[in-house]
Amino acid sequence: MSATIISEESAESVELVDQPSIWSRLIRHPSVVIGGVLIALIVSLVPAAPLITTLDPTDISPRNRNKPPGFETVHRDDEGTKYTVVAHMGTDKLGRDVYSRVIHGAKVSLIVGVSVALISISIGLFTGMLAGYFRLIDAVVMRVMDGLMAIPSILLAIALVSLSGASLLTVIIAIVIPEIPRVVRLVRSIVLTIREEPYVEAAISVGTPTWKILLRHVLPNTIAPLIVQGTFICGSAILLEAILSFLGVGVPPEIPTWGNIMAQGRDLFQIYPHSIFYPGIFLTLTVLAINMLGDGLRDTIDPRMSKEI
Amino acid sequence: MTTTEQEPVLSVSGLTIDLPRNADRKHAVENISFDVAPGEVVCLVGESGSGKSVIAFSVMGLLASALQVSRGSIKLQGTELTELDDDAMRALRCTRMGMIFQEPMTALNPVMNCGDQIDEVLQEHTDLSSAQRRSKVLAMIEQVHLPDPERMYSAYPHQLSGGQRQRIMIAMALILEPVVLIADEPTTALDVTTQAQILQLIRELQAERQTGVLFITHDFGVVAELADRVAVLKQGQLVEFGTTQQVLANPQHAYTKMLIASVPRHEPPVRRVIADDAPVVLQTENLAKRYVSYGFAGANNVVDAAVDVSIEIRRGETLGIVGESGSGKSTVARCITWLIESSDGKIWLAGDNIAELSKEQLRSLRRKVQIVFQDPYRSLNPRRTVGQSIIEGPMNYGISHREAIADARELMQLVQLDPDGLDRYPHQFSGGQRQRICIARALAMKPDLLVADEAVSALDVSVQAQVLKLLEEIRDRMQLAMLFITHDLRVAAQVCDVVAVMSKGRVVEYGPARELFNNPQHEYTQALFEAAPGRHFEFAR
Repeated sequence: MSATIISEESAESVELVDQPSIWSRLIRHPSVVIGGVLIALIVSLVPAAPLITTLDPTDISPRNRNKPPGFETVHRDDEGTKYTVVAHMGTDKLGRDVYSRVIHGAKVSLIVGVSVALISISIGLFTGMLAGYFRLIDAVVMRVMDGLMAIPSILLAIALVSLSGASLLTVIIAIVIPEIPRVVRLVRSIVLTIREEPYVEAAISVGTPTWKILLRHVLPNTIAPLIVQGTFICGSAILLEAILSFLGVGVPPEIPTWGNIMAQGRDLFQIYPHSIFYPGIFLTLTVLAINMLGDGLRDTIDPRMSKEI
Repeated sequence: MTTTEQEPVLSVSGLTIDLPRNADRKHAVENISFDVAPGEVVCLVGESGSGKSVIAFSVMGLLASALQVSRGSIKLQGTELTELDDDAMRALRCTRMGMIFQEPMTALNPVMNCGDQIDEVLQEHTDLSSAQRRSKVLAMIEQVHLPDPERMYSAYPHQLSGGQRQRIMIAMALILEPVVLIADEPTTALDVTTQAQILQLIRELQAERQTGVLFITHDFGVVAELADRVAVLKQGQLVEFGTTQQVLANPQHAYTKMLIASVPRHEPPVRRVIADDAPVVLQTENLAKRYVSYGFAGANNVVDAAVDVSIEIRRGETLGIVGESGSGKSTVARCITWLIESSDGKIWLAGDNIAELSKEQLRSLRRKVQIVFQDPYRSLNPRRTVGQSIIEGPMNYGISHREAIADARELMQLVQLDPDGLDRYPHQFSGGQRQRICIARALAMKPDLLVADEAVSALDVSVQAQVLKLLEEIRDRMQLAMLFITHDLRVAAQVCDVVAVMSKGRVVEYGPARELFNNPQHEYTQALFEAAPGRHFEFAR
C-alpha cells in the first residue's frame, strides 16, 4: 500500500474535540457547588468540634435543665471556679448543651453515611459484576438478593440490637444489608448491557482473560452511575440512622447523634421544641446537601441518567 | 414530472439555522432554497451531518430548542411556517403535512394497537364519529396494502414486521391527505426487498393523491428510484439542485461527482485469480447454530439461526456472505470467531478442527481469527485510549509493552491515521477513523482470517469507499483470508471473490462473485438483485 494515498478523511488528521473537562463542568453546576460547599462545612465540624464547643456533650448539669436557646448556663471547673457559657441552642432535659451535642453528633452521622455507602457499594459492585457477567451465578445471586430486599432495615436493626446490643457497628450492618440488593441490581443491569457491547466481544476475540475484561472494560463503565448512587445511599443512611436512634434501637443513647438528641427531646417537644428543632435542621441540611451533590453529579458525569436530557 | 407552472406546495428560501455556540460549525444549514411542487418527489441527499434532517424538522416545526431558524422562510401553500406559534403548527401537522421516520419501531407507541394510533390522528383533527373514523382507518390500512385490515387494526407494533410497521406509519401520515409528505430516511432500517416495496407504495400513493414529497436519504440508489428532483447537501450548504437525470447522469459540483463515484457499482469487477493451490485458511462443514429456549414443559421454542453452512476461504481470498436481516449471516461470523459456540458441524482452521481442541490450544488459535464489527461507536471502549485498545491483544499473548506500542504505531500508519493518535480517546475520532482503528486492532494480532461483520454499513458512502479500499489493500499486502458479511449487494459485488447468499439460516447460492452476480440461479438471489434500487442508472451498474 502506498502511504502517499492520503484519504480526504485522514488528511484532516486527528482533531481534538473541544469538550470542557469534567471538573470545569462540575464547578459550573449550581447544585454541585451548593451541595459541595454545605457538605464541606458539615464535614469540617468533625475535626473542629472540640475547638468551637467548650462543653463536653455528655456533661449532665441538673441546674441547667431545659433552658431555652441563648440562656447563660453556669458551670464549675475541676478546681471549683464558676464560669458561664451561653447555650446557643438551649439545653436538654438533663441539662446537656444541645449546641455541643449537635456539633459532636455530626461525626456519627457522617461515619454512618459514608461507611454504609462504601460498604454497600463495594459488596454490591463485586456481586453485581459477577451476577451480570456470569449467567449461572446470576440465577442464584439474584434470588438471594430478592430475599435480602424483603428485610425491613428497622426490624433488622431491632433484631440485631436485641442479639448483640446497641452499637455503631450494629446500626451500620442493619442499614447496609437491605441496601446491598439495590446496588447489586443497578450494577447488574449496567453490566448486562456492557457485556453485549462490541468492545467487550472484541476483547474476547483478542484473547483477553475474563477477569481482565471485568476489570478493564466492565468496571470503569459502572463507576459513574455508582458514584451517583453512592451519594443517595449516604443521604438515606444518615436519615435511617437518625430514625433508628430516634426509635431507641440505634447508637447507644449516651453517644450524641442527631437521632439520639431528637429522641431525648421527644417527651417535652411541645414545651421545649429546641432540642428537636436544631438537630433536625442539621439533619435536613446534610441530607439535602448530599442529595443536591448527587443530582449534580448525575447530570455532569452520567448524562444518561439525567432527567434534563 | 416537474410541474413548475404549478404553485409549489412547499417552498423553502434562504433558510439558515444556527447551531449552538460551541458546535463545530456556525450554521446547521445555511441559505437553503428549494421548492416541492404538487405530486413531485424532491430528494434531499447528503452524508451524515449534512443538515438534511434539520431541514425536515424545521419544516415540521420540530426543531430541538437549541436550534433556531435565524433567517429565511418556509412556506406551505403560501402560509409562512416560521412565524406560526406552536398551536398553529400542531393544527397543520398531519392535516397539511405528514411525516414518516426512519425507525418505525420507535416512532410507534408500543402499548397502543396500530389502529388506535392511526385513529388518534383523526380524533385530534376531525369531528368524525367513532364508526366513521374506524371505517376510514380500515380503508387507509387497505390502501397501504396491508393484509387483513381488521387484524392489523388490533395488532400491536411488535407483532408486525419492519415493513408492515412502516406501512402503518405511512397510513398515519397520509390519512388526512396532507399536501406535503416528509420522509426522513424511511427505508434505511429495512431490508432491500422490503425497501423496494415501501418505495413503490410511496410512489403509488403520492401519484394518486398528488402529494408533494420531501424525501431524505443518503442512498443514491433510492434517489434514482424515486426522485423527480434532487438537492445535494454538504455540511449545511446546498451544493447542487436539479432534476434527477441532470444530477445523477451529469453532476456539476465536485462533491456530487465524488459522492456518485463512491457508490459501489453493481457489476463485479474482473478479479485476479486465486491460485487453486492457495492454502485453505478456514473451512466449515455443515455448521449449524440452534437456539433453544426452555419453558416449564421443556424446550418450547427452537430457532435455527444457521443450518448446514459449508464454506471455504483460501489465503488472499474474500468470501462474502450476503443476506437480509435474520438470514443468519452474523451467526455464522460469530461461530467462526468463537464468540458463540456452534451447535453442530465442524470448523476447520488451518487443518485443525476447533471442536476437538483443548482450551489452551484454542486460546493460541484464537488470535488467528479476528473480527471488525459494524458499529464504530460501540466497538471501542470509550474509557481506554486507542493505543490501549490496540495493544491489548498482543500483550495478552506475551508481547512487551514497548514492542506492542511500536507495532501499533506502524499499524496506525498502515490504516492511514496519525500514530500520535494512540494517546487519544475514541470520541475524538470520526466514525470512519474509528473503523480504521478497529481494523488496526484486529491486525495487531497478525491474524490469518479477518472477519468483517457489516464493517462498512454504518459509514457514509465516501468514507465507505475509502475503508473498502483500505481493507482490500491490507488483504493483498498481508495475504489475509477475509470473510465479509454484508447486506449490501453493491459492496459485496465490489470486494468479494466468492459470494454465499444466505436466507433463513441456509446458504441458498454459493459461487464466484462474477458468475453469481451476472447469472443468479436461485430465485431468492434473483429477487434480491431485482430489489436493489437504482439499477437502471448508469452509476449503479
